[in-house]
Amino acid sequence: MLLAGCSGDSSVAAGTASELRGPPVKGGTLRVGFVGGGAADTLDGAIATNLGDLARAINMYDTLTTHDDDYHVQPMLATSVTPNADASVWTAELRTDVKFCDGRPMTARDVVASIERIIDPTDPKNGAAGLATLAEVVATGEHTVEFRLRSPDSSLDDVLAKYDMTIVPTDFDVANPIGTGPFMLDRFIPAQLTVLKANPYYWGEEGPYLDSVELLNFNDTDALINALLSTQIDVAAQIPAALSEVIASDTRMRVLECQTGVWLPFTMRCDVAPFDDERVRQAFRLAVDRDQMINQVLSGHGRVANDMYAPLDPAYPDFPQRTQDIGQAKRLLAEAGYPDGLAIELVTAPIQAGVVEAAQVFAEQAAQAGITVTINRMDLTSYWAGYLEYSFSQSFWYTRNFLPQANNGSMPDSPFNETHWDDEEFIQLVEQARATTDEPIRNQLIQDAQQIMYDRGSLIIWGFADQLDAYQAYVGGLVPNATGLPLSGFQLHRVWIGELV
Amino acid sequence: MSDHQEPSSSSVLVEDARPRRRYGTLARFWSQRQAKVGVVLTVIVLLFAIFGPLLVPWATGFTATEFVGRPFQPDGLFGTDNLGRDIWSRFLAGGLRLIVYAVLATALGLVLGLGLGMLAAYLGGRLDSLIMRGNDVLLAIPQLVVALLAVTVLGPKGWVLVTVIGITHAPRIARVVRSATLDVINEDYIRVAQMYAMPRRRILMREVMPNITGPVAVEAGLRLTYSIGAIASLSFLGLGIQPPAADWGLMINENRIALSLQPAGVLLPVTAIAVLTIGTNLIADAIAQASANPNVGGR
Repeated sequence: MLLAGCSGDSSVAAGTASELRGPPVKGGTLRVGFVGGGAADTLDGAIATNLGDLARAINMYDTLTTHDDDYHVQPMLATSVTPNADASVWTAELRTDVKFCDGRPMTARDVVASIERIIDPTDPKNGAAGLATLAEVVATGEHTVEFRLRSPDSSLDDVLAKYDMTIVPTDFDVANPIGTGPFMLDRFIPAQLTVLKANPYYWGEEGPYLDSVELLNFNDTDALINALLSTQIDVAAQIPAALSEVIASDTRMRVLECQTGVWLPFTMRCDVAPFDDERVRQAFRLAVDRDQMINQVLSGHGRVANDMYAPLDPAYPDFPQRTQDIGQAKRLLAEAGYPDGLAIELVTAPIQAGVVEAAQVFAEQAAQAGITVTINRMDLTSYWAGYLEYSFSQSFWYTRNFLPQANNGSMPDSPFNETHWDDEEFIQLVEQARATTDEPIRNQLIQDAQQIMYDRGSLIIWGFADQLDAYQAYVGGLVPNATGLPLSGFQLHRVWIGELV
Repeated sequence: MSDHQEPSSSSVLVEDARPRRRYGTLARFWSQRQAKVGVVLTVIVLLFAIFGPLLVPWATGFTATEFVGRPFQPDGLFGTDNLGRDIWSRFLAGGLRLIVYAVLATALGLVLGLGLGMLAAYLGGRLDSLIMRGNDVLLAIPQLVVALLAVTVLGPKGWVLVTVIGITHAPRIARVVRSATLDVINEDYIRVAQMYAMPRRRILMREVMPNITGPVAVEAGLRLTYSIGAIASLSFLGLGIQPPAADWGLMINENRIALSLQPAGVLLPVTAIAVLTIGTNLIADAIAQASANPNVGGR
């Protein structure tokens, strides 16, 4: 379904390019470049935040379940993760052949210790919010773990698939990071370089083909692109959409373009004026020309969205596409008490490529509806200091299915409820969906919740951005992936270096 | 002989005086090549900056914020920028605010610096020490760091930019003014004014200030150059003039990722800022030469 919309190695490449053929080749070092990183770079996959952290987390550690290239949940360290009838108890059956990179076998005790480490109340990790309903996690056998929940959660297998739900040994120490991933740590200099080498005990069926991987931090995109063009790196994670065509026109290069569920919303706080009036929120949504947004902000590399998230969720509804309607926007604003339009400050920051650009395009479009937008572009530190407090701002989210996304950002107790969304009917529907294991019924509940988002929600979701990476033509194994994470979801164990013919 | 010589001597004096009047400070300034080059460069950029906004969209066909195509495409005279807007239109519209802010910031710095510098020199004693040590403290803090702090705390507003850059200029100007004033206040005409009990403010404004214009003008030219650089730098960092307004500093930042693909988006504003700063610097140098050396341009 999704793959049809993705373009992989060959489709974006120039016509006269040499091609990489044959089965994967073993050996070699892959040099991966990406922008970002700093002194806070971590080797602990459970608190991974920036691109380097993610690359280390995904390649040094594994999770019980994972998302495949189409964003479907698949088993990983567990052979199955199944709920009881009301999704209040989940049982994970673990693989018996998994070893950590120091040779010790992985057992249920390690899984329990890992989950308890993530939800540690004194030092909660990234995944703690997703496990808020977890009452206890118990090893019921050498390779069986039971998750007992305070309230049902039918999406626990999805929650456990996130890259930061890392499984580590009971005696995990970040100074000597041990995981079950395809690679293990060789050298780490924060903000500069990470060298990973192949894990000799790797349990997976495929790879790793590479002997080692070098993860190289870059300060800005210019330097990253120049390093790629001068063959100082083999792959560049996340390239600007506007430059993809010129990079693809170089016969030595390939561009990997993937449709994802990544979104860059405008957030309207619905507990303060003017957004406490749903007519104003709808007017703002109607002011947006989504096609133009895709063209100007993403250089055409994305799909229009319909003010709802989780496009890859099986329950994503097919409501009529909302389009720009300036007349209706003006009417709604007039009804809400703004017959002469209104002035609003939009807080933005370069939190992700395209965010500040989207603010500018929105300001231009909204002016037609009598909305005067003053852009307040903050630096990153200032932006994060006031995050969750802005009346009108922007955010970005990677691909998630509906329930994990709602848990993270749309419930009153969500850690990132940017719009202070607190809709009673929506909350009830989400809670019912969480407690429903029957998929058709759960999907219907999710669609009803999405209908509320569509009709009176507090997010302007104008598009889903494609993920764009660039790499040298001699690199194989990078395939379209819907997670929104760069380089096929950073699954470097599938990547290999070959010779062009 | 002596009768014969006297008129001739007086005529020599008269003849000597004439060229001196003709080659006053302004003439000495203009007679220098660097002054002419500086003025020409500055005027060229000023013409673009002042009349540019009036020409958009009449001359270019597009407004400065209108989307004319996809980003970094070769549409229009110089192509499109990072959001698909016409680079030529944004260039024409993007200089005025930079120059207005720079002039206002320099003017504010001049007013404050003149006041503080003249007072410190004229009053002397403890007040002089107090003002000048305070100056030293302010001078120890890099100008751009103070500006970044103020903009982060107070927000990237025009008045904040002008005020903070003006205030950070003041100690530098005050130091020059104090030094120039110290040279002047021991002159006889100042003592005469004091003897006639002329008010202090009047002495400073009417007697001192006209006689320190040379060094002050040089300093003003230098500060204007720095103001242009500082405001363009803050805009480049995203803390100056806010998008979607067209601005040369902002344009450099927005378009630098495509330097190899669509260089006009960076080269046009960079060239304009470079030419303007070189121009104002040459003018400042020429003023310095003209005011310090009476022989410049004499013959």
